[in-house]
Amino acid sequence: MKKKELEEKEVQIEETPVVEEIKEEMVQDEPDMIKEEKERSSRVAPVVMASEEEQNKDMAKIVSAQKVLKVVFKVLVYLFLCVMALAVLFPFYWMINSSLKTLAEYKRPVPTFFPAEGIQWGNYAEAFTAANLGTLFINTVFVGIVSTILSLVITVLSAFAFARLDFKGKNILFAALLATMMIPGELFTITNYTTVTNLGWLSTYVVLIVPFLVSVFYIYLLRQNFLQIPNELYLAAKVDGTSDIKYLWKVMIPLALPTLISITILKMMGAWNSYIWPRLVANDTAHSMITNGLRNAFTDTTGDVNYPVQMAAVALVSLPLFLVFIFLRKYIMKGVSRSGLKG
Amino acid sequence: MVDNKQQWKAWLYLAPALVLLLIFTVWPIINTVRMSLLENYSGLRAAAGETFKFGFNNFIQVVKYKQFVQCLINTILLTVLTVPISTLLALVISVCLNSIKFLSRFLQTIFFLPYVTNSIAIGMVFAAMFNIVGSFFGTQNEIITTAGIINNVIEFFGGHRINWINAGSTYAANIAVMTIYIVWNALPFKILILLGGLQSVNKQYYDAAKVDGTSRWRVFWRITVPLLSPMIIYVVITGFIGGFKEYSSIVGIFGETMGPADASGRLNTMVGFIYDALKTNKQGRASAAALILFGIILVVTLVQLRWSKKRVHY
Amino acid sequence: MKVTLENLTKIFPNKNKSGSEVIAVNDFTYEIPSGKLIGLLGPSGCGKSTSLYMISGLQKPSSGKIYFGDNDVTELSPEHRKIGLVFQNYALYPHMTVMQNILFPLQNLKGEDKLTKDQMIERAYEVAKIVQIDEFMDRKPSELSGGQQQRVAIARALAKYPEVLLLDEPLSNLDARLRLQTREEIKRIQTQTGITTIFVTHDQEEAMSISDEIVVMKLGVIQQTGKPQEVYDNPANLFVAKFLGTPPINVFEGKVEGGKVIIGSDTVADAAGVADQEVWIGIRPEGFILDSKGTMNCEVQNVEVMGRDVSIVSKHEGSVNPTIRSIIDADFISKLKGTEAKFTIKKNKIFIFNKETEERIRIGE
Repeated sequence: MKKKELEEKEVQIEETPVVEEIKEEMVQDEPDMIKEEKERSSRVAPVVMASEEEQNKDMAKIVSAQKVLKVVFKVLVYLFLCVMALAVLFPFYWMINSSLKTLAEYKRPVPTFFPAEGIQWGNYAEAFTAANLGTLFINTVFVGIVSTILSLVITVLSAFAFARLDFKGKNILFAALLATMMIPGELFTITNYTTVTNLGWLSTYVVLIVPFLVSVFYIYLLRQNFLQIPNELYLAAKVDGTSDIKYLWKVMIPLALPTLISITILKMMGAWNSYIWPRLVANDTAHSMITNGLRNAFTDTTGDVNYPVQMAAVALVSLPLFLVFIFLRKYIMKGVSRSGLKG
Repeated sequence: MVDNKQQWKAWLYLAPALVLLLIFTVWPIINTVRMSLLENYSGLRAAAGETFKFGFNNFIQVVKYKQFVQCLINTILLTVLTVPISTLLALVISVCLNSIKFLSRFLQTIFFLPYVTNSIAIGMVFAAMFNIVGSFFGTQNEIITTAGIINNVIEFFGGHRINWINAGSTYAANIAVMTIYIVWNALPFKILILLGGLQSVNKQYYDAAKVDGTSRWRVFWRITVPLLSPMIIYVVITGFIGGFKEYSSIVGIFGETMGPADASGRLNTMVGFIYDALKTNKQGRASAAALILFGIILVVTLVQLRWSKKRVHY
Repeated sequence: MKVTLENLTKIFPNKNKSGSEVIAVNDFTYEIPSGKLIGLLGPSGCGKSTSLYMISGLQKPSSGKIYFGDNDVTELSPEHRKIGLVFQNYALYPHMTVMQNILFPLQNLKGEDKLTKDQMIERAYEVAKIVQIDEFMDRKPSELSGGQQQRVAIARALAKYPEVLLLDEPLSNLDARLRLQTREEIKRIQTQTGITTIFVTHDQEEAMSISDEIVVMKLGVIQQTGKPQEVYDNPANLFVAKFLGTPPINVFEGKVEGGKVIIGSDTVADAAGVADQEVWIGIRPEGFILDSKGTMNCEVQNVEVMGRDVSIVSKHEGSVNPTIRSIIDADFISKLKGTEAKFTIKKNKIFIFNKETEERIRIGE
């Protein structure tokens, strides 16, 4: 019986050879490190037999080998991280570098890593007018603010109902809402396009705002937050004769503020980055959103495009996002780590 | 025991959300299924009073359609390339970030930067980096004024410049550019999640491994990866879902031609296909394609969850 | 393996709120004899865990030396020290079975220590049998009780045949009943394997019951070392006296005057040869004898029956705490009449301490 058991055990550690293989691969990569390690362990082994003096010498060698290995590893880690960080940053640098050059300098066969013909701030002014960025900014900010405010109101009310009120079918309704989160948005767009056309909303602000006011994910997020607030607070407020709205305003909202800020930022970023839907339903210049305007203004990549101006426009569009990021990093990261959705 | 006042109050609070959801979420689901099952359904022609036969023809047509197959291949290829690369890279970066103290927060901020970008705007920057400016490509009189910074770097190291995205570029070169851009774009979210996971792993596991003299390599594969597996599965699944919905990053690089000037539409994706069908008023075809996309996402997600349940349980 | 600590000191820079450095362990010198079970004992924050981690090599001492046998291991990293370490929360890998957990350290062995697969399995079963978990080898840690997890952790630590076994608060995550059982288990395993074992605890009863020797620490400084009974009978200072013993020692404010120990208006003991001064006085609960001729008068509050013994809760003007507690054999309780109790104090159960330094003042020396 024991033997059979042992055989079973053997099956269990089948994984080991795989690990060994990988280790051997590493041996080829960094032969010195491994060799050192092997030497070390073979030195440790005969400790019992060796004389005291030799032991101490061995120990000293092991210690110094350890230190070297540690430093080498640390250097490699930092080197790798810095290279990756540079790769991440390079496009941003190149964007700004290019945006400040003259077109002639941009087209030099040997690139310059700093504008050599003087810094062309004029590119930014030109980009602003060429891409009609002023109108686009205003449109986008307007749509962003209005949809964020309305969306927050709707989200807060729904989350409150789901978190604090009792009604028939609450759990089924909530589960049904969560289920819709699995469906890709494109599936809705097809019908929504027809719906907004029939409603006569094409090329209005309404069409950019209304269809996306309700986000099941935000309701879910806020409900979870509301649930953490003890129900006794609500009951106490009821005993004192506080109205629901006042309670929401005075207690729930302040306590859930971080989540609300996260939602606000994500919603604003969503408006800033929206492209597909606006292109479909509001492609006129009067209601165009920033991303569409940007792409449309520089749509030809092969013709004689003024690239520095294009890069200046891109930089101008990116700037507000960076400002938001710098000041509200904490909320963005918190919101993002729970959402998994871009924008 | 549910009191009546709470009942109507709850429905009142929910009313705005529910009305909007009914119009813009529930009805579309029903309508998409309906349209997909009406052969050659078109919104315009339906408005003119035309009726359509019930059947699965839309699905059959879509699958037979060469353009659709190309979109499907592009989508799958980009997903299969970018998800493993970005996940592995993000994992290594996160482990490194977690192992250092000095500059750690600063580097975290840098690695998160690509997240707060407009994927179309930065796509244009990437396009500029790969773009060859000149004229008469591929002819005897070819004039190249600047080959783009990436080609400059390649030439600096003694390589030959590559036509990445311009007219005459190869499919492989296009896919390579897209892969680089999508990976760059996908890193921050994955790093954020994985680093968060790493920071919540109990340090004592590593102390225990240290006492046992476990090599770094073994610690990584036998302890870090298994303990992090729920987060890894999460970023892989969201990565796949995002990958199947890839669209705007391609618009960012190639513009709405969805391909180099001489091969427009070559890099079109599933989502692009749906919008093209929609723009030409072929709602039946668009619906069928959308349902196929949903089906693929659902199946891939379920398969991954199932597989992960076998591997990740403790 | 004998373990020698020489002037071991650990300073954490800027760890507390004010930003100044914290001395976690201060000048720890001690020789741990080979093959013994040693308890490092003290309240939380006394530096006992830090000391353990320094012995393990996971933390580097700021100064001082550590010797295993005659070898200086101060700079040596943990894997070369031939130690086994059991963590407070066990740190069992949740994704591996018991078997895989025990095998894990064995698979790391290199060079001459390298084992074949069969040898590893044999070894795993051998240590599993010692801690009696060999029937759970296929389970995951989450499918085991706290006590079983603890044993797996010990088995994993033993698998490499360590020369020193270190246990960090080994019983703190167990419920009261399991704790009693497991501490006997630890003693048995230690006796059976003969490995020098050092464990850390804040529970004095735990330390006293199984240790061959205890080390009492406070704020990074060693207070007293020795066999548990010796330390209990002969505390070096007020802290050690208060820290050891349940129920705790009764502490009084009093004085020595004319060779007598006086609490309030009661003369309770002789203190020949001790100069007149204000002192702290400690009397162990078992040091009270009900005696109608007793010199210590207490006002009885309550009598708690505990079966074999009876605990008398009473008041005395000199007591530092609101009440004093004395344990009396149940047979003598009939001597208690009314609300006033008269006690005679056993000579070896009363200690006096310097008012300023709180050091023990020995009587008759």
